[in-house]
Amino acid sequence: MSLQIYIIRRFLFVIPLLLGITVVSFLIANAVPADPINANLPQNALNDENLVRAFREKWGLDKPLIEQYFTYLGNLLRGDLGVSIKTRQPIVEDIQQFLPATIELATVSIVLGLAMGIGVGVISAVWKNSIADYVARIFVVIGVSFPVFVLALIGLTVLHVQLGLVAGPGRLDFIVRDPPHVTGLFTVDSALAGQWDKFGNAVSHLVLPSLILGSYVAGIIARITRSSLLEVLGMDYIRTARSKGVRERWVIVRHALSNAMIPVVTVIGISYGNLLVGSVLIESIFAWPGIGRYAFRASTSQDFPAIMGVSFLIAFIYVVVNFIVDILYYFLDPRIRVA
Amino acid sequence: MQKRLLPFLAAVLVLLLIGGGLAAQDEKVLVIGHAEQTDSYDPAHGYTPTTGMVHRATYDTLVTFPDGDASEILPSLATDWTVSEDGTVYTFTLGDEAVFTNGDPVTAEDVVFSVNRLQNVQSNPGFLAGEDRIVSVEAIDEKTVAFTLPDVRPSFLTELTNTAFSITNADVVQANGGTDADDAASTDTARDYLDQTSEGTGPYILESWAPQDETVLVRNQDYWGEAPYFDRVIIVNIPEAATQKAALESGQIDIALDLTPDQIAEMEGNADLGIFSGPGQWTHFLLMNADPEIGGPVSDPTVQLAIRYALDYEGYRELWAGSVTPGTNMAYILAGAFQQDQAFTRDLDMARQLLADAGYPDGFDITLEYPDYTAFGVNMNTNAQKIQADLAEAGINVTLSPGELQVALEAYRTGQEGFGYWFWGPDILDPVDVLSFVPGGKVAAERANWTAEMVDPAVIELIEQAKVATDAEERLDLFNQVQEFLQQNGAFAPFNVPATQRAYRADIEGYVWHPSWELDVALLSRAE
Repeated sequence: MSLQIYIIRRFLFVIPLLLGITVVSFLIANAVPADPINANLPQNALNDENLVRAFREKWGLDKPLIEQYFTYLGNLLRGDLGVSIKTRQPIVEDIQQFLPATIELATVSIVLGLAMGIGVGVISAVWKNSIADYVARIFVVIGVSFPVFVLALIGLTVLHVQLGLVAGPGRLDFIVRDPPHVTGLFTVDSALAGQWDKFGNAVSHLVLPSLILGSYVAGIIARITRSSLLEVLGMDYIRTARSKGVRERWVIVRHALSNAMIPVVTVIGISYGNLLVGSVLIESIFAWPGIGRYAFRASTSQDFPAIMGVSFLIAFIYVVVNFIVDILYYFLDPRIRVA
Repeated sequence: MQKRLLPFLAAVLVLLLIGGGLAAQDEKVLVIGHAEQTDSYDPAHGYTPTTGMVHRATYDTLVTFPDGDASEILPSLATDWTVSEDGTVYTFTLGDEAVFTNGDPVTAEDVVFSVNRLQNVQSNPGFLAGEDRIVSVEAIDEKTVAFTLPDVRPSFLTELTNTAFSITNADVVQANGGTDADDAASTDTARDYLDQTSEGTGPYILESWAPQDETVLVRNQDYWGEAPYFDRVIIVNIPEAATQKAALESGQIDIALDLTPDQIAEMEGNADLGIFSGPGQWTHFLLMNADPEIGGPVSDPTVQLAIRYALDYEGYRELWAGSVTPGTNMAYILAGAFQQDQAFTRDLDMARQLLADAGYPDGFDITLEYPDYTAFGVNMNTNAQKIQADLAEAGINVTLSPGELQVALEAYRTGQEGFGYWFWGPDILDPVDVLSFVPGGKVAAERANWTAEMVDPAVIELIEQAKVATDAEERLDLFNQVQEFLQQNGAFAPFNVPATQRAYRADIEGYVWHPSWELDVALLSRAE
């Protein structure tokens, strides 16, 4: 199968998926057992029928559910996610404000997680049942089983407050002004502006949260890498390669690891999606103004356009990441190319 | 490869070190860590502790309180005032010194516009200027303004101290979409403008607000009063108390506003930190719906009294360091409020006897509804579990039903909650605030279905007298009688007032908590 056909096929799967997501996110936002009117209108306005009616009309709540859905879908096709009741800004703008902080943190975390995870996984597979393997496996258990918020609080207390080794909460020291906005990624924006002191400050604030988020990812990736690599290393073609006198390092990296990567890539895709949307706790603890915190506030204040917007965004990110993973398969797994 | 990597790593390390030393700046900056709770900084919209603090810094009101309490009324934009013989018309004279940030003097028209806009926008604080409270506000001349009230209301000056009555520059707000017309609720569009800047006369100007992220205030160079110490105040949104604590201990923030009593206790003895501790303003109470169909057994006045006897008040004080037991639902900090020595004490035998008298010798089963929420450091789940244990000793079997805050609020506000646990802080720092909890009062009638018809007309007469009494001594006596009635009767069981506790870096001077606006940042300075 050629790459083009493969991509088109994958892409065709994505369309019904996204449509299904709009239905689900719409239903979830409408299924919450609280009335958005009570949550969003001041109490004295609740007694004023005209104001309540105006609110219903403004937000389309007076229309039947099915009509509300198609209005939402129509707007969505034009790239309009609606307006948040709470921030009263277009949700697209809210997302532009909050998403870069999350992308920056998630990207650094996944890179750290990958580096740690693959490294540890390879060490523990190659030197199976050695001391290095046992140490690596303890690292994995801690990474996977320790709740991130516990690690975060310990990290903040010990590494930041007591030892002063890493920067604390926030994307920059609170006293430091944001770099000029270009991408919203502070490391990139400060570098573009040549503000290297801010770049350093932004990097130092990324260290602790991304290590913590990364260690969770690293734990999973190390486990998969280890088991997948062990399986591959036991295969005939590896024995053949070795018996032909290929150098051990080459055997592991070129012959074994690249084939062992297929399940790892799957996990990376899912993990990156998880990091983008599931770091509410870390964002909260590190006072990180990201999309997770925005979503939490939207859901606790019955801001249904924002809930729908964020749910759709989250699902969309998952779909895109998995789409990319599917394409990576094409390169990693020759069977797809042949099939 | 390795040769190129090393210099790169070294460069990154140097940058990190420079980054760590960024804080050294010439500007005097104050950083406050706070769990932000507002969706607007427009004085006609925002009405939370967060907005109180920001409005106090950026606007002025006609009259105000002393820096640290609500004991007397002081002049602010108004230099003096008179009250008409019948007590319904208040006439204020404006001073000449105050100017808005663009240099415009404050005029009577600005006052008229600000108050009418507050009334007509009908947002969260709008009730303070509702038609049932202010009939009209008129400019007599450029510096004289008169308010007409529907009837005698001695608490009026206290109400005017609320930062919701901040005076805004009418011309500038109108130029940015503001209106004070009757239809302002649907036609006023100045909110977006006032969310990003302030048009007041206060010591600071709102420079920017990134919702859920940070609020920045800069010093008003033309402030008419004494210049504040700090050039810039940054209020950072830190929702997690544990994070606030870490940031305070490491010196990243100067003040932490939302620490829990446990965390404050851990900080005692830390020479780098100072602690402010004092009586709080939030009363935690049980609501017992007076409608038998909704409240069931707890609608019975005898059962209500039994529940007040069954609560272990001392236990709640031990649970929350520094907390006190309130006398009634009248906020503890108000003049005339019953203090702890006048409060209810536990009497389990009496509680059991009353339950038997009411026809429940073996108790009954009931569900307690409350929000799954931490109110200013006090975890409501913890209290709910204790309520459950306390009432079990009297024979009442309580099932706990925590709900998401917005969901729980809905049942509470619509009067559909039978047995609930909530907290209340005064809107007006005057004894009249308790009138929300008397039969027919706002909270009593709307949320507990406890109406005026349910009680002896003599009680309603007493309440009416208390509302309009102007003589200080007579007023105090009447409110005492109201509180005595509330202790023995009614739909509420107030049981704890947690302490107000705030922590700050030891070099911060002048920290004062205020029950109305939380903190006046203009009073703070840094030891040098």
